[in-house]
Amino acid sequence: MASIIGHGGKDLVERIVSNKEEAKKKIRGLKELPVNRQLATETISIAYGFFSPLEGFMKRGEVDSTCKRMILADGTVWSIPIVFDASNQEVADYNLKEGDTVLLSFNSNPLAIFEIEEVFTYNKAEMAQDVYGTKDEKHPGAKRTLTYKDKFLGGKITLVNLPKVREPFTPYFLTPREHRERFKEKGWERIVAHQTRNVPHTGHEWLMKHAWMATHGELSMEETEGGKAITGILVNCITGEKRVGDYIDEAMVLAQEGLRKYGYFRDDIHMVSLTFWDMRYAGPKEAIHHAIIRTNLGLTHHMFGRDHAGVGTYYHPYEAHRIFKKIPEGSLRITPIFVLEWLYCPVCGEVTSIGLCGHKDKHQPYSGTLIRSIIMDGIKPTLLIFRPEIFDIVAESAEKYGFGSPFVTNEYLEKAPPAFTVEPL
Amino acid sequence: MATYPINIWINEERFEKLQKAGLADMAIEVLAGMKVLPVPTTEKQKDEVLKLFPTAKFDTATTKSIELLPRKVKDKIFDLVILKKSLNVMDEFIGSYLKK
Repeated sequence: MASIIGHGGKDLVERIVSNKEEAKKKIRGLKELPVNRQLATETISIAYGFFSPLEGFMKRGEVDSTCKRMILADGTVWSIPIVFDASNQEVADYNLKEGDTVLLSFNSNPLAIFEIEEVFTYNKAEMAQDVYGTKDEKHPGAKRTLTYKDKFLGGKITLVNLPKVREPFTPYFLTPREHRERFKEKGWERIVAHQTRNVPHTGHEWLMKHAWMATHGELSMEETEGGKAITGILVNCITGEKRVGDYIDEAMVLAQEGLRKYGYFRDDIHMVSLTFWDMRYAGPKEAIHHAIIRTNLGLTHHMFGRDHAGVGTYYHPYEAHRIFKKIPEGSLRITPIFVLEWLYCPVCGEVTSIGLCGHKDKHQPYSGTLIRSIIMDGIKPTLLIFRPEIFDIVAESAEKYGFGSPFVTNEYLEKAPPAFTVEPL
Repeated sequence: MATYPINIWINEERFEKLQKAGLADMAIEVLAGMKVLPVPTTEKQKDEVLKLFPTAKFDTATTKSIELLPRKVKDKIFDLVILKKSLNVMDEFIGSYLKK
């Protein structure tokens, strides 16, 4: 296969044995180590190259340089540690030691080969402080870090069994290589990422329109007028750990797709895919991580809105914009597009940008809570703020996948099937 | 007395009912022509509502209102408002739930 350049100007990592017989041969006799959903997800992401140039879970030196200097050992920009944690009990029970090669299994089926190069400890409070700027357990990313188990295992990953992504997600899960093939088919020269975990209202549409125009910039408009745009928008939905009250992933993905299906964006302009990642809510550091993933997917630009990937009041609303100014020029192969809030102005009678409209005291901002409240009441919103077809998709998704709710409930957490499974090899 | 509203979204059908009950003026436009009826609760009522319906949350950050109440609950509150022709229905509403 032809090599592809990913983040840091390095070859895209693809550590996959897709031939089943070869895979069976490679895992024969290996000690089996079961992993949870989160580690399985990150194993898959490493192997397909979403986290290029990482070839495996980080070793101590990489964790340290990520935390302290936001770079990998070779100087490549990296903002969030990708670690494999294990309890002392697991290390003892499975007799895990440096130099071992083990078979990671998920739901009792083979997933990946893990070459354990290092078993180490790391000060978790320090890691949380360095990455999230806080050790506060109320911060979900810091909490995740503080609750890591006793030890970390670092080393290379090789996927031996491809995950089976369930419906309705199947067509939306594309590897970095597949993303690039799609972009080539579409003839896109520039592609801007819209990172989302939401079902879209018209404010989101305008964010995308703004980002498309900024990305297209000085390029010719003739192709676009002729129906074959050379600049595209990729809505890359983040699918991962859910919390009660989040939109269910099914509603998010299908509603985003609905914007194109019902013509709010043209076929040649808009595309939806999903990436498995548990949000860390690391604000600026997460913005960098998102930029890295989307670079590996082959995108040229990335939209960042106000309070990107933030939580609570841990970060300044524009901290995720400011961090890009601190990174040496040329270290990221993706251009950030910074966008302002869009809202409804009753004087203008339209959706407009806070940065353009002068009727400041009349502005009616979108709020996630307001939109959720409308959806929960089952009141169809006006076309100006929420497309009727999108509202219907959300309602259908609630019935079909959400046990009657478009939002994650305890029942959804207990009963919804996992987004991907691994079958017997 | 501080109030912590429960925002009930108003569509045309509900607006007609509010008009008949003489309460149409109580609906407030909040977003692109969409109206809400803010049903006030006292702090004590707010706490009781949050206890009765654990999925609900008081949104301290943006709307300063009780949110994520189940749709059926809000439908009942709205029906009570129309029946009583008043927004001050929360004692009666909470009382009816406590009896169950």
